[in-house]
Amino acid sequence: MQTRRHFLTSALAAPLLARPALAQDAPLKVRELYERRGNDLSELAVAREGERITVEGFMAPPLKAESKFFVLTKMPMAVCPFCETEAEWPNDILAVYTKRIVNVIPFNKKITVSGVLELGGYRDPETGFLSMVRLSDANYG
Amino acid sequence: MKRTLISAIALSAATAASAQTADLPQAGSEWFTAGQEAIQAILDRQDNTNTAKNVIVLVADGNGVGTNYATRVFAGQQEGKLGEEHVLPYETPDYHAALVKTYNINAQTPDSAPTAGAMNTGVKQRFNLINLGGDAIHDDCSTVAGNELTTFAEIVSGMEKSVGIVSTARVTHATPAAVYSKTANRNWEDSVPEGCDTQKDIAAQLIDQMEAGVIDFAMGGGRRHFVPEGTQTDEGGSGRRADGVNLIENATGLGAQYAWNTETFNALTLDGETPILALFNDSHMEYEADRADDDEPSLAEMTKAAIEYLSQNENGYYLEIEAGRVDHANHAGNAHRTLVDGVAFAEAVAMADELTNDEDTLIIVTADHEHSIAFNGYCGRGTPILGLCYDVAQQGDKHSDELVLADDGKPYTVIGYLNGSGSVLVEGENGYEGSRPDVTQDEATDLDYVQQALIPKSSESHSGEDVAVYAKGPWAHLFDGTLEQNVIFHVMHHAVTAE
Repeated sequence: MQTRRHFLTSALAAPLLARPALAQDAPLKVRELYERRGNDLSELAVAREGERITVEGFMAPPLKAESKFFVLTKMPMAVCPFCETEAEWPNDILAVYTKRIVNVIPFNKKITVSGVLELGGYRDPETGFLSMVRLSDANYG
Repeated sequence: MKRTLISAIALSAATAASAQTADLPQAGSEWFTAGQEAIQAILDRQDNTNTAKNVIVLVADGNGVGTNYATRVFAGQQEGKLGEEHVLPYETPDYHAALVKTYNINAQTPDSAPTAGAMNTGVKQRFNLINLGGDAIHDDCSTVAGNELTTFAEIVSGMEKSVGIVSTARVTHATPAAVYSKTANRNWEDSVPEGCDTQKDIAAQLIDQMEAGVIDFAMGGGRRHFVPEGTQTDEGGSGRRADGVNLIENATGLGAQYAWNTETFNALTLDGETPILALFNDSHMEYEADRADDDEPSLAEMTKAAIEYLSQNENGYYLEIEAGRVDHANHAGNAHRTLVDGVAFAEAVAMADELTNDEDTLIIVTADHEHSIAFNGYCGRGTPILGLCYDVAQQGDKHSDELVLADDGKPYTVIGYLNGSGSVLVEGENGYEGSRPDVTQDEATDLDYVQQALIPKSSESHSGEDVAVYAKGPWAHLFDGTLEQNVIFHVMHHAVTAE
């Protein structure tokens, strides 16, 4: 079983962590930024704070049009009418603040985002969305 | 006289057949001897016509014949086998089995509320309702009164038995709710519409049934539905109850023990003296692939605790156990988490079997419905069930190292979904269009991989395809052929009342 904990252990053991992010590095996965349990951030996330990193995932349908903000999810954001009585955010997501107005990409098309990793609570003034981990000055494709 | 003659002829025919098979060129094959052993195990079966003191129903939500097949292969491959030959704990010859038709009164494709309701009341029900008769209408509170059905839990609690529910979903979610609630809408988990005075919300009904002595043991997720709005829950979330009632305090006020994480779970006293309410997450419990042992117990651990607790009642018990998140991972089109939760379910079945006696306990293993999951071919033996389809090898049994390519020149995974968020069609300026993305083996077997699907839908759907039911213990042999889902109740009822 490929667990997040197992993956993190492998990732930490790799030399990747010891050097700055390079363009040719494989993109990180959203789950690598979080501890397996609860909402705590991973050691990897703490170690890379302030660095420009690249993360792959999916663009959740933006909360607001003409925005410079979107949420990156590890899987296409599925809202199940038979699982949930209302839309719920999974706890392991990544808030992305972009350089330019977001050009919306379908929620089920994988994208790669590059941005500066910021940690700590921040409430988006426009949407009220509370994030604990963000990429700022981001671009994507 | 005639019967004796026929038996004698049959016996001599069987003996003759046995003598003939020894001469067959394939008689020395392992497949051949395994086949003979299989029918011998069936011939050795003795119908168990005891009265069932205990009934345990284990439901893997969304685990139809297809999903169960994938779990079987996955479980085998986790043990280092090729996989296809693996036998899940409930697939052994000591389990009887049948196919089950899962449709609802008004739905070809069922949802989990009326399907669980059918198992708990003996009648088919309407889409999205729980334990109301066929005249009740979805979302219409005025149709509740007079349509309430009597549940199996109520019947057996009248026989002085204890009743328990365990689920990895919210305990207010459809499958566990069908043990204790009656509602015109499965989503009324913590409130009912304004002016609705014919029923309470599902969480309130659980505590009412606990107070009434029907439900003794409830364990799963769904904490937020028991806590008032604006009140912090045990793990820092917030309650959802607009009526301001704290149902956890109400339960403990009745003398119930309460647990909310592994530590408090381990501290529970399982002597059967007081009710137990355990809510391990604000919403559903974690997927097994994401679960940490020091945060939440496993489904097998909860099963063990439930049986230890309920066994204290010398009159017996009814226990419904749900692997609720097999369904959710299927909805996400995420086969990896689906199968990891499927294996956790199989471990819970093995635990239930180990802790009980076939002489007095009827164990039923089933699902409520299937999903739009489907399987590609032609893949060689031992192809990783979560991965890309390898070609069939000309020699030996294991697959070749060549990936099978589709006509678009790209490989494909064994598992796919007919619809869902993994659709290869994406929304563009000209509507939905697209082609299949390339996929590597590493990507396909990743925990977060969403299998390719055809029809775009934000959430993958159930399907109306059959599920299986497996059973052992008193009257398990009544499960045979192709049955309507509500028949499950009738076997349970017959088993506990047989004299």
